[in-house]
Amino acid sequence: MSVALQEPGLVEAPRPVRRRAVWQVVRRRPSAAIGLTVLVAIIVVALLAPLIAPYGLHEEVGPVFGHPSWSHPLGLDDGGVDMVTLLMWGARISLVVGFAATLVSMLVGGAIGVLAGYFGRWVDVVLMRITDYFIAIPDVPLMIVVAAIWGPSLFHIIMVIGLLLWTSTARVIRAQVKSVRERVYVQRARSIGAGHVRIIFRHVLPQIAPLLIANTVLTIAVAIFDETALAFLGLGDPSRISLGKVIENAFQRTAVSSGAWWAIVPPGALVALLILSCSLIAQALEDALNPRLRVAHLSARRFRLRPLVGRGSEAV
Amino acid sequence: MRGADYVIKRTGFAVVTVLVAVTLNFILFRLAPGSAVSNLSRVPHATQETRNALKRQFGLDKSRGEQYVLYLRELVHGNLGVSFQNSQPVWKNLKSDLANTIPMVLLGTVFSIVLGTLTGVIAAWRRGTAVEHASVTTALAFYSMPTHWLALMLVILFAGWFPSGGMVDDFLIDPTWFQHVKDVLHHMTLPALTLALVLYGQYTLIVRSAMLETLGEDYILTARAKGLRPWTIVRRHALRNALLPISTLIALSLGYIVAGAILIETVFSWPGIGRGVYQAVIARDYPMLQGAFLVLTLSVVFFNLVADLIYFKLDPRITA
Amino acid sequence: MSLLEARDLQVWFDLEGGGTLHAVQGVSFALEPGERMGLVGESGCGKTTTALALLGLLPPNAEVAGEVLFRGEDILRGGEESVRPHRWTDVAMVFQGAMNSFNPVRTVGSQIVEALELHEVAVGAAARARAAKLLESVGIPADRARRFPHEFSGGMRQRAAIAMALACEPSVLVADEPTTALDVMVQAQILELLDGLCRDFGLALVLVTHDLPVVAQLCDRAAVMYAGEIVEEGPVERLYHSPRHPYTRLLFAATPDLSGDGAPVASIPGAPPRLDRPLVGCPFRPRCDRAFGRCAEEHPLLRQVNGSRAACHLNDVPA
Repeated sequence: MSVALQEPGLVEAPRPVRRRAVWQVVRRRPSAAIGLTVLVAIIVVALLAPLIAPYGLHEEVGPVFGHPSWSHPLGLDDGGVDMVTLLMWGARISLVVGFAATLVSMLVGGAIGVLAGYFGRWVDVVLMRITDYFIAIPDVPLMIVVAAIWGPSLFHIIMVIGLLLWTSTARVIRAQVKSVRERVYVQRARSIGAGHVRIIFRHVLPQIAPLLIANTVLTIAVAIFDETALAFLGLGDPSRISLGKVIENAFQRTAVSSGAWWAIVPPGALVALLILSCSLIAQALEDALNPRLRVAHLSARRFRLRPLVGRGSEAV
Repeated sequence: MRGADYVIKRTGFAVVTVLVAVTLNFILFRLAPGSAVSNLSRVPHATQETRNALKRQFGLDKSRGEQYVLYLRELVHGNLGVSFQNSQPVWKNLKSDLANTIPMVLLGTVFSIVLGTLTGVIAAWRRGTAVEHASVTTALAFYSMPTHWLALMLVILFAGWFPSGGMVDDFLIDPTWFQHVKDVLHHMTLPALTLALVLYGQYTLIVRSAMLETLGEDYILTARAKGLRPWTIVRRHALRNALLPISTLIALSLGYIVAGAILIETVFSWPGIGRGVYQAVIARDYPMLQGAFLVLTLSVVFFNLVADLIYFKLDPRITA
Repeated sequence: MSLLEARDLQVWFDLEGGGTLHAVQGVSFALEPGERMGLVGESGCGKTTTALALLGLLPPNAEVAGEVLFRGEDILRGGEESVRPHRWTDVAMVFQGAMNSFNPVRTVGSQIVEALELHEVAVGAAARARAAKLLESVGIPADRARRFPHEFSGGMRQRAAIAMALACEPSVLVADEPTTALDVMVQAQILELLDGLCRDFGLALVLVTHDLPVVAQLCDRAAVMYAGEIVEEGPVERLYHSPRHPYTRLLFAATPDLSGDGAPVASIPGAPPRLDRPLVGCPFRPRCDRAFGRCAEEHPLLRQVNGSRAACHLNDVPA
């Protein structure tokens, strides 16, 4: 799964963005609002897991693959642990990995993108070449290999994922920074002698913020996905229970043939829900910020006629 | 020839990328901690002689620089080493693995491209309506599902209708060619379907985006003013133009599919390159890993180059 | 019965944040065969929207009311289906010089052939031959038909667009800012071309532009639009020498005169009103130099005044 939902080439040079644009987009598009709500809800539940989880994480409360019941709406896993509890705690780890890896990726990708876009010329060429090479390398196999070599630990997983996801961020940021750099107010700031750092932080970053947010949200989604993939392949941190680990456990301990669908369906569904909400938000943002995707353009469909209400130029 | 230097430039870039990938391969597997060097001692059932032979073959007794050169030389001769798992030449294993992966992936990809294009065109055409929202959300929903989880879902759903693992039925004795093909296709259905469902969403979004951009162009208005019917405009003008970004993006994504098949092959025990990578990782079979990794990287570079060339061929505006 | 007539044409656009923009507010005019009418005004006054509305070429977020009659038949009433047969064969359009009228990935010739084949004027080799002849009639060598649009200069592209517009021998040509974004020398050529072609083929012309000298050169009549309505309409000469609406007067006065008697160029201060809210009174009042009490209360209607039409309360005031 690649992060390239929107090729930077397809995104036109952005119009000047008003400060509240991001919030307005979310408000106006139901899909984004839903996505945001779901995402926030899951995060809140995950954060509060230690307080609100119904049972202990390692507490055996019933038989292996116990059926769903009133006290255990999602049944039990292969260790007799309550699934709902597992999901809450699992979401914590998955989210931590997702956010942390994204942070790494943002820092690296953001730095490279800003430097390449802002300074241009040879800095740009060199950095973009490096980025191109990184893009050419298939991420999942590399992740697998590095995880296998480096050994499973949460930190390693985060680093591996983060160090492979930065490329799309770098590209998007570079494209944005480049177009923003040519804007008048940046030129003016330069002519007054403002330093590069100041210009970057005060003028450039606020303009690229919305698309940066879209990209960040998307990266979080991919990071969570990659974590489940790695966990599934046995390369996750064995001491931590992430959602990916829950799926992997179920698979390994033959939940499928035992017919224990509740051990498999919910964790994956939760991951899908997480990724979907991130994608909806990102998609809505990208849609809104791309000036060429408006409805009010010359689409080859029909026009609407208002029924006659009066005749002549005297009619109002 | 028009744009000969463009072709040369892109090919050159591809070649350099391959070199970089090869070098990265070397660095990862030879120089990283826990790499082949120190792990030779962990190869099971290896006698001292085998180890020495391996050492010499890989030139592990030489300096790093010499190792690199030796590695390159072996590479050029197509010698990717010998797998630790079955003591077969790596390239032989890779070949049979690829032969198994490609048909399955191809089937899934074709289906997903077709489905994605259809839904993308419809979504763009019905922009702003519920149809578009439903189309996009469904596409995103499938795209969001973890591949291996979706695979498991399909296994549960179709239990009894389609086999849940393997590529062939081991109990089919002496099948005719036709029977064999039928058997393989039967086994291929679920993995290919999983791939198709997980991937089509990406194409939906790409196609929709490209179509919307194209439909906003001035010449679409002219076409409409000329009296062309809407569907003709979409087909003859919009789609044709949207084909540019669509085909390049599709070609780009193809390079990654083979890699993404790792998860599917693991779930379905499909004896392809994806599962090969996974098994090699578990068994710490470094020559296999190295070889598989190289092949996967090459496929990405190759498809990137194809994407560049397609774009070049389709867009008459590019002359240099 | 006129050749082309617009009756009380109205267009509303749905705005993204909700609400509607009343872009065209009751435009009516009539065009006879061979007659040339200019549609002038500032940008945003609704002249392009009016031109597009004539052929129903509006986007999905537009709503149309009113009638467009071609030889007495209302072509808009039945929606897209009723207006499409008239496109290109009866009324053809030439768009702005800056626009990409041609599909960049197909040859220019093939796009002209497309028009010919679609309306069954000619097919196959005959169509290609005709397309070549059309190109030659606008001064483009026939072998250019096999070239792509990006290989044409701006002026040549515009001429090719005109050739394509004439492919099906329409009765009316609607040209929307045909010379905008072309350089001055090329502008003159295009105008000459339009002039000659309209004369030779007896075409009626609706010329949409903000450029008054162009109207003066090419058109017999002109309609001046402001805030979505026609505020004055009549022979060009009369508009220039005895305008009946302050906006017309100021518009002509604001045009720089190269023959230069050194008179200062007057520009009209202020900006056109917003069209997303209903207006009370005369839309031009805030910028008018001769507004009085009635202008703020009552919306002036287009009335006959000495051979032209004007919408201004000043015409009602006894001299």
